[in-house]
Amino acid sequence: MTINKRELLALAASLAAPSFAMAQAKAGAKPAAPAEDIVMGASMPLSGVFAFAGIAIDLGIKDYLSILNEGGGVKGRKVRYVAEDTAYKVDQSMAAFKRITSQNKVNLYYADSTGFAKSVNPELERNGNILMTGASFGKELSDAQKYGLQFMVGPDYSEMVGILLQYIAKTKPGAKVALVYSDTEFGRDPVEAARASIKQLGLSVATEIVTAPGSVDVSAEVVKLRRADPDYTIFHGYVAAPIPEFINQAKSLGMKSQFMGTFWSMDHTTVMRMGANADGFMGVMPYRYYYDTEGKSPMLERIRKMRPDYQTTGYTQGFLAAMLLTEAAKRTLDAGNELTGKNMKIALSSIRNFDTGGLIGVPLSIKGNSIPIGRVYKADFKAQKMVPASDWINLTK
Amino acid sequence: MRIGSAKQSYAADAALFDSRTQQAWLVLLMLALVAFPFLAGEYWLYLACLVAINIVSTMGLNILTGYTGLVSLGQAAFMGLGAYTVAILQARLGTPMLVNLLAAGVVAMVAGVLVGLPSLRVKGLYLAIATIAAGVITHFIFGHFSQLTGGSSGITVAPAQVFGIDLDSSFRLYWVIVPLTGLMLVGAANLFRTRIGRAFIAIRDRDISAAVLGIPLLPYKLLSFAIASFYAGVAGGLFAYFFRAVTPESFPLLMSIFFLAAVIVGGMGSVLGSVLGAVFMTMVPEVLKLIVSALPAALVGENATLVLSPVRTIVFGLMIVLFLIFEPHGLAEIWRRTRRLFHLWPFRT
Repeated sequence: MTINKRELLALAASLAAPSFAMAQAKAGAKPAAPAEDIVMGASMPLSGVFAFAGIAIDLGIKDYLSILNEGGGVKGRKVRYVAEDTAYKVDQSMAAFKRITSQNKVNLYYADSTGFAKSVNPELERNGNILMTGASFGKELSDAQKYGLQFMVGPDYSEMVGILLQYIAKTKPGAKVALVYSDTEFGRDPVEAARASIKQLGLSVATEIVTAPGSVDVSAEVVKLRRADPDYTIFHGYVAAPIPEFINQAKSLGMKSQFMGTFWSMDHTTVMRMGANADGFMGVMPYRYYYDTEGKSPMLERIRKMRPDYQTTGYTQGFLAAMLLTEAAKRTLDAGNELTGKNMKIALSSIRNFDTGGLIGVPLSIKGNSIPIGRVYKADFKAQKMVPASDWINLTK
Repeated sequence: MRIGSAKQSYAADAALFDSRTQQAWLVLLMLALVAFPFLAGEYWLYLACLVAINIVSTMGLNILTGYTGLVSLGQAAFMGLGAYTVAILQARLGTPMLVNLLAAGVVAMVAGVLVGLPSLRVKGLYLAIATIAAGVITHFIFGHFSQLTGGSSGITVAPAQVFGIDLDSSFRLYWVIVPLTGLMLVGAANLFRTRIGRAFIAIRDRDISAAVLGIPLLPYKLLSFAIASFYAGVAGGLFAYFFRAVTPESFPLLMSIFFLAAVIVGGMGSVLGSVLGAVFMTMVPEVLKLIVSALPAALVGENATLVLSPVRTIVFGLMIVLFLIFEPHGLAEIWRRTRRLFHLWPFRT
């Protein structure tokens, strides 16, 4: 076998590619940000299974930062956003973190998954200059002792289910609740806490059903659910499938159970795509929907002006994440302190009765790593809207 | 043209590195590996460690699939067992790193032997499907034996300590991971200079003939599974120390497919192929990312990262497909051909 010129050229190119890339990474590395710039990095899932949320979150962060920078930034310092795609894989998220932090003096960071948030934590502690939030609402991350430089933009998953259970206990005392969750870290996260809350609130567990994430054939599970005859069925650990299949089959069997979901299955688009049977589907949402006009919400109005098309709840999550991260930076600078992770976390924890411009319907105060505030919304299929079914529920009160 | 390399003894013929030139290059490579941590930044050190861990696991799978001809989709599960062994030992007993890594290898090895049992009866795709069971079972164990495994939230791993030094950065871990990878590669290369390695190859080429030649199939097939799983277990252990957190979802089936792809792209039945395959599969997505970010903004617009992310995934997929079509023997074959070119230059074969 021979090697011809073309093959030799291809080989040379393939050998040269890494060194070219290495050179690019060094040469192309943006010069260290001028002292007045604040850098927000992000390991963002712009491709892969979580891209639907990642793209929206990315846009939300960019929009908030452009509003902030137009208004003069944080105490006159602009906030520069550096994001990299991770395909929702922990090793790539970590690579993005390493690359972004080695080329920029990063102060704020957005993480894309629970796995990454856990893996990067020792690195955060070692670095000491970064405050982090992200897309995860995993219960473990709400441990402020263990994850001292992180927080989440809303209630953790256990608190989300807790909000739903409070609503149930108030609406129908002594109700029977079924828990349907995926056999994943995401799905199992709130189960233990949910069992305890159900007991504490005088409710009862009708049944617990575990399915594969995104499973299609759920007929056996629906029969089991029907036999348990719950008043309420809470789904967790899914984005869409198999929730629509569950609801369709349950309705065709004449079940009257009220179906409920948590944040990632509660976006308007996701619920409306379930079809007419999803009418009345309820769930917990920590933020107002894009089209909510109730009350005063100047920030939502601004978003609607900037983006005339519907923006998902992922967008709002990213927007609010950028808002709270930069607010922590602002308060740190206001206090005349250095922008270290610890100082920013202290500043974040000093937030009391903070007005998010209407993104959350009540002023928020931050105590631990999570913000246990949310509201129960209900799908109105006719109006093609998610409408409030409860007032804002604050679990700290 | 390479001349004067006539072999005068069997030992010389079987030598791993048979010429001065090769030895000189090897010394240069080792010097480069020693110098690398002092020259490269945190990002490149992170990637170097990640590549090294993937090389160990790919090498293990290549022993099983490339050399013995037994297709397995359980490599990630064995890595998971190794990772959990390290995490549990580190958290509960605080035993030294090397002991933990060895235990990780042994635990994975025992599981490998059990999973390999059907290999005497089934081959090819059938065996691949049988090995998927390993992933399902280990996922169940990791998720449900909460007292030991921490359940769905997994275990956070404290940094390894060597001589009182915390191995808490890529720079420090590099000095353990890379030499260990080198050692395991030399081990694998030497394996195929022994009766055991040759028996593996004989089984791959034609198992009935191998049996006729006096190679007992079951012990050798199980041995191959054991060695491959040992490599995976050690790689998993290194993974636990590197990422410092293990969860049931850290080792999905997709990860096994990743290693199988690395074996095929690199070159089945080749130590060098394992290295090149793991480097290719780990580095190409990153290199593509760097190329995309280096493109001028005028060409791709402001939202380059967002727009080009799916393109990057497609290009990566296409590269794998094109490799399989145009170079079915993998990257190792291209390397061999290039070497031959230099050996024979200015003549052509």
